[in-house]
Amino acid sequence: MPSPASASTVPKRPNDGRSRSITEWLRHVTALPGVPGHEHTTAPAIEKAYRLFADRVTRDRIGNVYGWIEGTSTKPRPKALLAAHMDRIGFLVKRIEVGGFLRVTQVGGFDPRTLPGKEVVVHGKAPIVALFGTKPPHLQKRGEADKVIPLEDLYLDTGRSEAEVRRLVRIGSMVTLRQPSVDLLGGRLASPGMDDRAGLVVVIRTLELLRERRPIWDVVGVGTIEEEFGIGFLGARTASEAVDPRLGIAIDVSHGDMPGAREGDTVPLGGGPSLCIGANIHPKILEGLRSTARALGVPYSVEGCAMQSGTDAMDIQISREGVPTAVIGIPCRYMHTGVETVDPRDVDRSARLLASYLADLPADWSVAETLK
Amino acid sequence: MKAPVFREDLLESLSNAPGVSGGESEVRTLVAAAVRDHVDTMEVDAMGSLVARIAPAGAAGAGSRTNGSTPRGRRGPHVMLCAHMDEVGIMVHAIEKDGRLRIRRVGGVDPRILVGQVFRVGPKQVAGVVGVLPAHLLTKEDEEKVIPYEDLYLDIGAVTREEAAKQVAIGDYGIFDTVYERWGRVRKGKAFDDRVGCAVLASLVQERPPVPVTAVWSVQEEIGLRGATAAARRVVPDLAIVLEGTAAGEAPGSTDEESAPHMGSGPTITIQDRSLMADARLNDLLTRVAAKRRIPTQWKRPGVGGTDAGKIALSGAGIPAAVVSVACRYIHAPAAYLDLRDAQRSVDLVWHALEALRKEWP
Repeated sequence: MPSPASASTVPKRPNDGRSRSITEWLRHVTALPGVPGHEHTTAPAIEKAYRLFADRVTRDRIGNVYGWIEGTSTKPRPKALLAAHMDRIGFLVKRIEVGGFLRVTQVGGFDPRTLPGKEVVVHGKAPIVALFGTKPPHLQKRGEADKVIPLEDLYLDTGRSEAEVRRLVRIGSMVTLRQPSVDLLGGRLASPGMDDRAGLVVVIRTLELLRERRPIWDVVGVGTIEEEFGIGFLGARTASEAVDPRLGIAIDVSHGDMPGAREGDTVPLGGGPSLCIGANIHPKILEGLRSTARALGVPYSVEGCAMQSGTDAMDIQISREGVPTAVIGIPCRYMHTGVETVDPRDVDRSARLLASYLADLPADWSVAETLK
Repeated sequence: MKAPVFREDLLESLSNAPGVSGGESEVRTLVAAAVRDHVDTMEVDAMGSLVARIAPAGAAGAGSRTNGSTPRGRRGPHVMLCAHMDEVGIMVHAIEKDGRLRIRRVGGVDPRILVGQVFRVGPKQVAGVVGVLPAHLLTKEDEEKVIPYEDLYLDIGAVTREEAAKQVAIGDYGIFDTVYERWGRVRKGKAFDDRVGCAVLASLVQERPPVPVTAVWSVQEEIGLRGATAAARRVVPDLAIVLEGTAAGEAPGSTDEESAPHMGSGPTITIQDRSLMADARLNDLLTRVAAKRRIPTQWKRPGVGGTDAGKIALSGAGIPAAVVSVACRYIHAPAAYLDLRDAQRSVDLVWHALEALRKEWP
């Protein structure tokens, strides 16, 4: 049976005009599937985007996708690595129940309280729509609505017969939240997958800007795999080993300000990029980003990341002989829900800041010091 | 005579339309436009219910299309067919200084399905999301707590009260942001409770019925069966059949008892629920007609829910009432499923029941 067109996982290619708005890019890349381990479903669209601006586009054998901008200095040129992760949190089918209902396990950390009633796409032989089943109040026992339903008790219903489900879906099939991006006031955009597709858009836009304003260094934008998987940042580590960068910057989402959050846990949505400060961040890069932001008139926040930043920078930093790293955070409300909300202006500002900082890096820039 | 065809186009437009209890006017406009050419009279009552009368084929006063022919044989009982237009949803209760909207539920909405959900609010259908702290910032105790209504809010992107107030107002209704879709026999959409009943009823009146019918598309069912209470006093029928979208109980691991009624197993007939003891003679007639016409039917699990029929039955000196429903999975949630065959079979069953009533009802 044909699946509904709207269940399609890969949205239509945006028109091929080069200057797509940040909002258009966000809509495009948040609609791509690609849960951890399934990034190959997303990589072609990212490659296509890189190809618009990069001098060279490559994919390595574990699935990272690279867009290279060549610098102006003589070879061998120093390289800067920009990392945003391609994977998004999602689910995998773990069991097909009698009646065709599906049980899932998560890849990435959802709050199960945000799932009942949500629509998803099950990426089986063909993508099909399903939803997390809910018991209507009419059928609930007294007090049932006071209890949180854990993920293991939630189930997916495709509305299809068990035979059809078994034909289309297998154990391990990828499942993603299905929520078209929603336009909020002030140009804000809510969608699942902003973590970290918003970061990918920063990378894409940075490559676009650097094509016009050539840096001295080579700049390598990478879409990494398996950031959300939780056993180390596999894609970032391997990408950094392969590229051998002189500096690395991870672009990920930071918690945007929202009711109920403690002071210091969030940065203002619409307040510009968040510059992390902490053990994963080399002070020299941070200082460079801050002075560039000031020079550009780009607002920014400083976000304390005590111990680990929880980003690709953690593994880039300890790759090879050690790489100086920094983290740029895009303020994002309601992270790991179906309504991750960002202000596209913050994405634009992050790209402008990065492009300007990278374009101005002198060929002899280094953090290594010889003391004697 | 063959029963009319179920109007799926109407189900789609009705499902997508906003109509939270107390704000049913857009749904009423759609229904009125769909049935205008088929009914003899059409009025909106004091509460907002749509009341349309249609004389039987061949009856005097059956309208110009009968060419003034006289009634032949029995005229049959005056039947009230009723479906409710309203759906569950939310209402904007306050606008905070920082532009967030405080919300209250309208009708039976489980607070657990609202978190992280998208709504469309007010006449401009402004998009809003129900915000929630991310899992990263929660304590163990937070994770185990259902967020109560009072703590939920809608984020429409506004950063000040003034900005929000330009787009929405206190009292605006919010609906689930769900789009009607089809695959195979399944239809997905919001508000199938009771837009499917509304569409079944609109489909039935496409043809002149065998008996005098007053069709009522009622308001405010979800907040206490209110619209039909008033409408029944106005219509004063001999008997009533309520058309509903009811809760299918299928879920993994559910017992046979819990899982009934089933989506796709034919019209669901109510024996007894929390509002009504259905008229046994009417149910008898419905099941006999179903058997004769080979329409599969099923019984609704007794003791669950309530419908307009409960109030209609108690109207005035009492009115025999029955309920014919389409079994829908996940009613009162952002999206429900139904099997399109059940909708057509409901039209068939009620139509042929009206034919039988013309001959049999005392």
